[in-house]
Amino acid sequence: MSRLDESKSLVIEARAARMKETQALLSAEEKDALIRRYHPDFRKEAYRPIRLGPNQGEQTVHELANLLEGESPVAAEAISLSPQHQVDLLIIGGGGAGATAALTAKAAGAKVLLATKLRLGDSNTVMAEGGMQVAVSAEDSPVRHFLDSLRGGYMKNDPALLKTLVEEGPEVAKWLMDLGVLFDREEDGNLSIRGGGGSSKPRLLRCKDYTGLELMRVLKDCVLNEQIELLEFSPIVELLTDGAGSCTGAILKNLDNNQYIVVQAKSVLLATGGIGRLHIQGFPTSNHYGATADGLPIAYRAGAKLTLQDTFQYHPTGAVYPEPMAGILVTEAIRSVGAQLVNVKGERFINEMETRDAVASAVIRECAEGRGVETPAGRRGVWLDMPMVDLVNGEGTLAHRFPNMLRQFSRYQIDIQKEPVLVYPTLHYQNGGIQINVDGESTVPNLFVAGEASGGIHGRNRLMGNSLLDIIVYGRRAGRAASKRATEISFGSTTLRHLDLFHDAQKKAGVVPQTVSPMLFPDYAKKNE
Amino acid sequence: MSYSDPQSPLVRIEVDGAAHPVPEGITVIQAMWKIGRPMIHGVGCLGGVCGACPITYRLPDQLTSKTALACQTAVRDGMAITFIPSDSSKKAIALIPAAPPNQKTLFQYYPETRRCTACRACSSVCPQEIDVMGGVRAAINGDLSNVAEKFTSCVMCGLCAAVCEVQIRPHRVGMYARRLTGAFYPKEATRLLQRIEEVRSGKYESAWNQLLSADDAALSKYCSSEEAAQKLAS
Ligand SMILES: Cc1cc2nc3c(=O)[nH]c(=O)nc-3n(C[C@H](O)[C@H](O)[C@H](O)COP(=O)(O)OP(=O)(O)OC[C@H]3O[C@@H](n4cnc5c(N)ncnc54)[C@H](O)[C@@H]3O)c2cc1C
Ligand code: SF4
Ligand code: SF4
Ligand code: FES
Repeated sequence: MSRLDESKSLVIEARAARMKETQALLSAEEKDALIRRYHPDFRKEAYRPIRLGPNQGEQTVHELANLLEGESPVAAEAISLSPQHQVDLLIIGGGGAGATAALTAKAAGAKVLLATKLRLGDSNTVMAEGGMQVAVSAEDSPVRHFLDSLRGGYMKNDPALLKTLVEEGPEVAKWLMDLGVLFDREEDGNLSIRGGGGSSKPRLLRCKDYTGLELMRVLKDCVLNEQIELLEFSPIVELLTDGAGSCTGAILKNLDNNQYIVVQAKSVLLATGGIGRLHIQGFPTSNHYGATADGLPIAYRAGAKLTLQDTFQYHPTGAVYPEPMAGILVTEAIRSVGAQLVNVKGERFINEMETRDAVASAVIRECAEGRGVETPAGRRGVWLDMPMVDLVNGEGTLAHRFPNMLRQFSRYQIDIQKEPVLVYPTLHYQNGGIQINVDGESTVPNLFVAGEASGGIHGRNRLMGNSLLDIIVYGRRAGRAASKRATEISFGSTTLRHLDLFHDAQKKAGVVPQTVSPMLFPDYAKKNE
Repeated sequence: MSYSDPQSPLVRIEVDGAAHPVPEGITVIQAMWKIGRPMIHGVGCLGGVCGACPITYRLPDQLTSKTALACQTAVRDGMAITFIPSDSSKKAIALIPAAPPNQKTLFQYYPETRRCTACRACSSVCPQEIDVMGGVRAAINGDLSNVAEKFTSCVMCGLCAAVCEVQIRPHRVGMYARRLTGAFYPKEATRLLQRIEEVRSGKYESAWNQLLSADDAALSKYCSSEEAAQKLAS
């Protein structure tokens, strides 16, 4: 029997005993020590200061710093800036935040163009499994939601942004339901809710383990119904500014013919999502193919300030086996209904409902100290004992609540109703991003940002389910504010003056750009890995 | 990123007619990268939910082809693979009506649905193993909530529409039935409505004033004390 199989039998044998034992929550000091020792955000050698721009001197990871200091792809080219499109509002990114903003702006009467890198809907949003936090129950309240999130975010959340998030949650849930989003319901019609790590009350709304798919399908259907002008396979590569600092449009690139598309817009809204495909510190990722943080270097060159650009979320449970599933998310909701984390010896080592940073740190600790399990491909992980869910809640619970998880593993002949699976932290979320105000506006006038590309709402650690809420609440707010702005101003001149300023700053700081940014796609094919 | 064991044995796959050796155990998408193809079309989430990556493949010992999602399928020796362009079926502009739907609501936009010959082709091609034909039959019977339930995991890949001999677009029918079911859910979520009312009526104003005017130290005290949270919430 292989070591992997041996360890698996230990997990199964110890199950009955484990069911009875309880695992205390960590004290504040223990948690702090654990995270400082093992969380990837605390690995000094992974970080360096940013050498120019609005966040000069502040730390971030090498992968992001290189992009922020990078060269614009249009810098070396003589391209005509006469616009092919003129619109009130240009929205960039076809995930949940972009689609929501487009719907809201259209409803407010703006002429909207939505441009996105792949197809509309190819995004992190479509992949979200666990749910969306909204304080609906009688024992709960927006204030409680606020305090939980603040605690989860290490008090670094922008209080005004967070208050707006939690307070508009109920209204936004209703908006989605009116569009036809089918959240799971109780017999009496009330929304069915569940708990999540770091939340003092259950408040996760969900659609089985397809919450993001459900949201994205409906939002996409609405965007198509509204006949919002759409450019797919057309990522943004640079912003346009008026020379005095305001944003006036963008340059897109048609991926099929490599031609640039110049769009003049009264306001621009970036909803380009997350960062996972940068594989920070070599981590696998749960993110979609286009999650290469494109909005950040583009906004940064135009002068937008970033916030909390040094903190990332490593989801504690990414699959590590079988190999084709490496990085794929195993939703936290499975832990909230009884699945336990156990090491090579079949022992529990952390309370599964600690916040994600603590659970991830504990998994990394187990593996670093030799209590992990090695896969045939040389990855390491610990067990997530999923069959416990059925033991605790009754047979059929896994199949009923987590059909997606069941199907994904069954494609590789693994029955999660019978056997545990191997997991390790996977790069999941960018906690920070482009700084915004409660209307979603960045520090660059007329440049709005919504969703994962923005920063401040979640502090240094996002609670599960707060991001799906964020993209809808701020997608709507930014969409509304950006379209209002567009009605108040006229078209500005379209220049690349901000690139000249950026080049001057590069020279002054002695920075030789190491790369062209945005990255657009990870270079797996080129590297031939 | 490394996603294959350097020691893992090679298998031979055929992509659009050309043969390539690739490591055993990786997905079809990973194999495309391995053979040096940058993917733009035919890839999206890499997690089995966006429907961008449908393929047909045939194994050497099989006569017929199968359909699958390339990001969810491991390569096997002798596998012959063809990528299928993503869904090109026409979507009707089907808005949510003001009054609750009846059978006509759906047929108004998707009249061809009634032509189903029960050939089952749609079900056999669905990578999500949905009982697609059952969904179409339920739609014909006007059982919208049943249609909605059946299409819960639909990734909108469009394969079912591509194979339907009478041009039914089952996934689009499913999508519309789901939205109608959601928008006209038979029972109200009363607690949600109450909460919206509470927020509107200013129930939390004093708590917000207190919290937003607090300095960091005071805030951190609120946060660490469960009681404070409880008090503020009530
Ligand atoms: C596997 C997984 C599970 C998750 N589960 C949950 C959960 O249960 N609950 C929760 O609250 N959150 C969850 N999250 C987080 C949440 O889904 C995301 O943070 C959120 O959906 C981000 O939405 P967004 O619209 O900002 O970005 P995305 O949905 O990622 O959309 C970004 C869009 O921008 C496009 N884009 C990128 N670059 C460019 C460019 N240069 N030009 C044009 N377009 C571009 C992309 O193609 C994409 O369409 C999960 C995330 C993942 C990856
Ligand atoms: S129902 Fe049709 S569109 Fe949906 S997943 Fe199945 S084949 Fe694809
Ligand atoms: S393929 Fe078309 S005709 Fe055949 S069962 Fe499906 S919907 Fe009916
Ligand atoms: S890439 Fe999204 S389903 Fe395969």
